[in-house]
Amino acid sequence: MNDSKWTWRAVSLISIAATIILLVGFVYAVKDVLYPKGAATLTILPEQTAAPVSAAGETIRIVALGDSLAKGTGDNEGSGYVKRTLDGLTAKGSKTSLIGNMGINGLTTAGLQSKLQQEGVKYALRQSNVILVSIGGNDLFRGADLLGSGSEGQQIAVPDTEGQKAGSMEEGTGVSTGAGIAEGNDKISPDSLLAALPEAAKRLNTILERISEINPEAQIYYLGLYNPFGDVPELLVPGNQAVTAWNNAAMDIINKHSNMTLVPTFDLFNRHLDKYLSSDHFHPNGNGYQRISERVIQALQ
Amino acid sequence: MTSLIPLIRNECLKIIKKKRFYIILLILLVLVPMFTYAQMRIAERSRDKFNSDWRLEVQQQITDNQNSLGSDRIPEEWKSYRKIFVQQLQYYLDHDVNPNEPSGVTFTREFLDNSVSLFIPLLIMAVASDLVSGERTTGTIKMLLTRPVKRWKVLFSKMAALLMFVSLIVLSTFLISYLVSGLAFGYKGFNVPVFTGFQLNGDTVDMSSVHAVPQWKYLLMQGGLIWFVSVVVALLAFMVSVLVRSTAASIVVMMAALIAGTILTNMASAWTTAKYLFMVNLGLTGYLSGSPAPIEGMTLSFSMGVLAVWGILSVIISFAVFTKRDILN
Repeated sequence: MNDSKWTWRAVSLISIAATIILLVGFVYAVKDVLYPKGAATLTILPEQTAAPVSAAGETIRIVALGDSLAKGTGDNEGSGYVKRTLDGLTAKGSKTSLIGNMGINGLTTAGLQSKLQQEGVKYALRQSNVILVSIGGNDLFRGADLLGSGSEGQQIAVPDTEGQKAGSMEEGTGVSTGAGIAEGNDKISPDSLLAALPEAAKRLNTILERISEINPEAQIYYLGLYNPFGDVPELLVPGNQAVTAWNNAAMDIINKHSNMTLVPTFDLFNRHLDKYLSSDHFHPNGNGYQRISERVIQALQ
Repeated sequence: MTSLIPLIRNECLKIIKKKRFYIILLILLVLVPMFTYAQMRIAERSRDKFNSDWRLEVQQQITDNQNSLGSDRIPEEWKSYRKIFVQQLQYYLDHDVNPNEPSGVTFTREFLDNSVSLFIPLLIMAVASDLVSGERTTGTIKMLLTRPVKRWKVLFSKMAALLMFVSLIVLSTFLISYLVSGLAFGYKGFNVPVFTGFQLNGDTVDMSSVHAVPQWKYLLMQGGLIWFVSVVVALLAFMVSVLVRSTAASIVVMMAALIAGTILTNMASAWTTAKYLFMVNLGLTGYLSGSPAPIEGMTLSFSMGVLAVWGILSVIISFAVFTKRDILN
């Protein structure tokens, strides 16, 4: 009986104490949720994140920025050119690490510009010594983006010219399973491809400069565009012209900076679209990404 | 006039002697190490992948979520959930605070956030569901009621004992998960800041009233909310155990209700009247962490109101039935 007396005392005391503590917590919680006081700017200020790690060791620390190419859309293995580049470098005996892959489907130059304001992105950039950038495709082929990743449906009504893409696609490629080719993408016309160029090129300039401002010590590799519409007769020439104009504009920017390199991809895909594009006729497939990554490795080493 | 204290004492001893409470502790001691181990593996893996740099990991998490926003195959509700999640992560990143600083305290916080709507109510039920029906099943209820004690006093003492054990269960859940996970993650982390006060409007997050709270205070607030939920669940289970004759039946009834609740919260945002059910409102801690409520229009005061009404009703029904009913068989 003495035993139970003590258990009772212990249990009652502890449970009463626990109840009081929990009640206090409850009152706090209700007050905090119902009347949250907008905290005077937080006690923790965003401290200047770690200084760029100077070339300690020869580890290649890669950050990838950009659109679906960085993400790897279209690659059945999901690797994209970034992972493949890393694998290729590792196979050649270099020490590599992927700091981050911030590729987002359908990202445009404007989107990347605002991404560069974010602390986390800046932080990752500071940690790296190789920055891979792929951007611009969505600015140029904005209508086509609808059939690819299906993201960011910024469908801009462009004057409809004779470019009836969907129909001619069938005979043009022979591979076409018809998959993913929405009838509604006959919006790509030669004029519209060029219309976006000057503005976007200007944004590309600020993006590249901003990146090298964030991390002046890193090498920046910019992936040139290829023409995904080479298999559409009406779009072959204007597409090539637009892409070349863009690549030239990019080259102009890049030539002014010693820490930037343009990695061309135009020739990789030209006239080999059926082999290296995925079934959406816009993004590269696994082999296409493999070829891009080989180019990047050549540029790196 | 028999004093209530000895009665309550008696009921407490009965609960202890039945070893229900020990079973609860045992369950916790078995399950928490499992969760801890799982969490440890996750932490290890991300350490390998991100060189133990949480900022890179969070940034990658943001990017992955943003990518999934683009997909048309993802339902709109999930998208708005992810949009909110991205904005919160972004806030943590902008203020250079690790949202998942690995420590025993953080583990406790996350574990309890996840267990408030099902796991803890189940533990509570283990005690509450057989308080009255158990006496029926064994037949001891007749002995109890033939004493010269008013019936309401008997029931009241049972309820008081139950509420004492609710506090004990909540407390021991906290303690055990802290002590066990501390072995793996370390016992520090009480002063790590946690952000609270995210105001959700559709899929945008109003950051104007966000403020940092040290983690110990967050745990305290969380404990209070969990305690409130547990009390309501206990009262409901208690009512069921008054109404139903066998313990098994009373456990099944409560289990079914709770599990229905988790299913409903996962799929029912279209059926808005479901928000008046108690089991949909159990996730009170979500209001603290700023995760969106399962059904539009739910706020902390709404959920607390609903829970309180259910709790009070079940007390009234328990007393009305228990004092009136004939005890047969």
